[in-house]
Amino acid sequence: MESISRRKFISGYAAATGAILISPYLSDCSQFRRDMKTKYFESEFGIDQTLCRKLLETALSRGGDFADLYFEHTTTNSLGLEDGKVNLANGNIKLGVGIRTVKGNQVGYGFTQILTGESMESAARTASSLVNTSASPVSGNFSHPDLMNYYPTDPLSMEFPVPSKIPMMQDLNDACFGLSRYVQKATVSFMDEIKHIMIVTSDGNMVEDVLPMNYLSASAIGEKDGRTERAGWNIGGRRDFSYYDDSVIKEISGKVISDLSKNFDAIQPPAGEMPVVLGPGVTGILLHEAIGHGMEADFNHKSVSIYSDMLGKKVAESFVTIIDDGTMDGYSGSLNVDDEGTHGQKTILVEDGILVSYMHDRISANHYNVKPTGNGRRESYEHIPYPRMRNTYMMPGEASSEDVIKNIRHGVYVENVGNGQVYVGQGDFSFYVPQGYLIEEGQLTAPIKDFNIMGNGPKMLENITLVANDLVMDNGGTGYCGKESQRVKVGFGLPTCQVKSLTVGGTKKTGGLS
Amino acid sequence: MNQDMKDLIKWVVQTAQDNGSSQSAAQLYKTREVNIRYRESKPEIVKEATKQGLILEIYCDGKFSVQSIPDLRKSVLGDFIKEQIRNTLYLEEDPFRSLPDPEYYSGRAMVDLQKADPDYADFSIEQRHQKVSEMETACLEKGSDSFLSVQAEMIDTYGESMSLTSNGFEGEDEGTSYSVYTEITIRDEGARKPNGYFGGSARRLAGLPDHQDMAERTSKDALDQLGAGKIPTERLPVIIQNNSSPRIFSGFLSAMFGGNLQQKRSFLLDKKDQKVGSDLFTLMDDPLLVKGLASRLYDGDGFPCKTRSMIQNGILNEYYIDWYYSRKMDLEPSTGGPSNLIMPHGKRSVRDIMKDLGRGILITSFIGGNSNSTTGDFSIGIMGQLFDRGEIVQAISEMNIADNHLLLWHKLIETANDPWKYGSFSLPSMVFDNIMVAGT
Repeated sequence: MESISRRKFISGYAAATGAILISPYLSDCSQFRRDMKTKYFESEFGIDQTLCRKLLETALSRGGDFADLYFEHTTTNSLGLEDGKVNLANGNIKLGVGIRTVKGNQVGYGFTQILTGESMESAARTASSLVNTSASPVSGNFSHPDLMNYYPTDPLSMEFPVPSKIPMMQDLNDACFGLSRYVQKATVSFMDEIKHIMIVTSDGNMVEDVLPMNYLSASAIGEKDGRTERAGWNIGGRRDFSYYDDSVIKEISGKVISDLSKNFDAIQPPAGEMPVVLGPGVTGILLHEAIGHGMEADFNHKSVSIYSDMLGKKVAESFVTIIDDGTMDGYSGSLNVDDEGTHGQKTILVEDGILVSYMHDRISANHYNVKPTGNGRRESYEHIPYPRMRNTYMMPGEASSEDVIKNIRHGVYVENVGNGQVYVGQGDFSFYVPQGYLIEEGQLTAPIKDFNIMGNGPKMLENITLVANDLVMDNGGTGYCGKESQRVKVGFGLPTCQVKSLTVGGTKKTGGLS
Repeated sequence: MNQDMKDLIKWVVQTAQDNGSSQSAAQLYKTREVNIRYRESKPEIVKEATKQGLILEIYCDGKFSVQSIPDLRKSVLGDFIKEQIRNTLYLEEDPFRSLPDPEYYSGRAMVDLQKADPDYADFSIEQRHQKVSEMETACLEKGSDSFLSVQAEMIDTYGESMSLTSNGFEGEDEGTSYSVYTEITIRDEGARKPNGYFGGSARRLAGLPDHQDMAERTSKDALDQLGAGKIPTERLPVIIQNNSSPRIFSGFLSAMFGGNLQQKRSFLLDKKDQKVGSDLFTLMDDPLLVKGLASRLYDGDGFPCKTRSMIQNGILNEYYIDWYYSRKMDLEPSTGGPSNLIMPHGKRSVRDIMKDLGRGILITSFIGGNSNSTTGDFSIGIMGQLFDRGEIVQAISEMNIADNHLLLWHKLIETANDPWKYGSFSLPSMVFDNIMVAGT
């Protein structure tokens, strides 16, 4: 097989390194979009159908249900501001192919960073080593399906030039200091990434996509009356540079300073079981942990999820509908196509309180004899795909946000959520709350912070007693999900929502349930 | 690294200098990784790959960038280096960005840390399959009707690297590691399916836990969770099991880093030489531990490594301060981050401690939670057992502990005789008094 020419590698890397700080390669942006959407890997690295078919034949040379190739070329760039200066740049280039052979729920996998015929053949042989039967066929023709576009990026704004990024980051830094005299330190970072992928399957699918991902974030440390506190916020998604205008700087800095100010006045959070109200937006992490992971189909077909016997059953009140959606313009979890070649789509998990679907990749879909739901995702070519969430949210209800709070005598209100975790078998989950409020006699009162909330997924679903009409999707860009030692970008959303009882992990013991 | 790689890294640094970099540092690395997982008595995952790459730091008169690239051909790297230098010049100047003063490079220990398993190359794919299969079989043999799923997995890695700077630092490193993991999921009342697990890592195969021991501990971890529930919120003594001890300590550790100190994100700011815990709170950082998982002769700045007393009888002796933050804070650098962390262990077993402790919680694992490095506040979900005078009363779930690190370590009242052997943090089970445990 033909090695990739020197010119092609230089071309690829010149583009990549250029994009680290400035992207001269991208100056002809219309060309960029056209080339990157179709035949990028053929034009830049000589990866054509003949080569792909040969690799797939090797991957299936000892048998298997199917095989696929996942080509990736990603450039990631980040800039950091500390102590008033944009003084750190990080860049990373990923280039390689992952080759998978699948037999039932068994996976053989090899990957290589060197896109030469010899190296890729070796990876394909590694993948094939899983099985030892007679060869399986590869499709004679590859189709090139058209994709919908869920990334609202203007080709003319795909560049992220440093001369523009530096003043933007400086403006955000200045805004943080300008909004509060208590700010002692601020840090700002900007990350932008362009990921080219091509998926080729043995059953005849050949699809390419270009995924943008970027975010702007800031954090501030403040001192007031001898108390030091910290707050941070970020905005991002699958956007272009035009998205990061003054309103974004204003929103981030405003949120950072608002949270910092609240933290100065925060009191000890309570400990014990009590009603919890989740405010709208990023609190959707609750769904991700409490419900989402347990509904990823790989856990269910192995019977290790608490939800594995609940398909078709009532799991919540009829006003609860939960969706995992890859088709929302610009959000971090949106996908034109998943990492197995399945088109981006929207999957209803819980409809009117009934568990109606798990999230599937190809392996689990085959097990359950259903179509894949577009949830087959992986961190990179180095990783095996699994069912993963995209943007997970709950549909709005009919109550007002005031209604959701007013009947609680003593509880907590969750404003922000930092991180979470779940044990899918037990269904026990946690999420960490950097900002919230006490609820006393139906009113939000003192700010509280830095407490964990514990619960159990199915019990929590049953205990959702009110849902407001104010669904907010979080527009952050730093959120990711970890599973099988892989990170993928995800999104969250939630309307204001009341849960009858959860364990609040504060330090101040209080009374029992309201 | 072979001679070609040595020649290449010299060429990289020289090319950077020739193209306008005032200083540069390069690292070349190669790794091989094999991952095998068994489930239902057959391989579920077989994965194998090699990786390589260059990490290049460019300093242009106070302007700094670091970039990585997987392709090591000179024809590609030449353009990569020029582009990186050109782009570094867009950044703002920071007078503290530079390579260390070369005098800090001297004094490297002349010891063999035995990080690489000499038998690694002879460990065949078939032998790997056999080992993982035996791990799974040992778990299955513990089986009861309540077992729903059994899984066994091993990931082994061989890595080598070479580092070179334009001001005279040279270093080479080589190592192997093996990580094993078993998991058993069982059926409980209702829909609950508790899963027990056990895992560990070592530099050599012989250092890994025994199959039978893994199976016993995995099975016990799962069965111990049957019937788990909440107990009332109250202050109790807690024992944090040895394999979970690093998780609670990590919240304290993050406040010891120079970056957090300089940025005022550390609750340990101005706490050096002060009492931050009980007399039992002692911690050594030992990068020269033979076969240690985090052993090293030099750190990320190229500084020679030495054993450090980070905390002694509750007194905070040292921070982790790298070259960059040492210059920003006008302090002497120590080292940028931890290596092997060792806490002296006590004399009694956890079981014996439980007998004398009255009513308390044995924490076997944590779930979620976080720690605020600025204030020291933390709140973490827990799983484990409620005990009373040595007897297990019930398994607990959906519960939480919360405190502040500046208070917590003063409540350390005993350490058990069981330092964790299968990770770079060798901490024993730790006993803390008077901790807020949130439940019903």
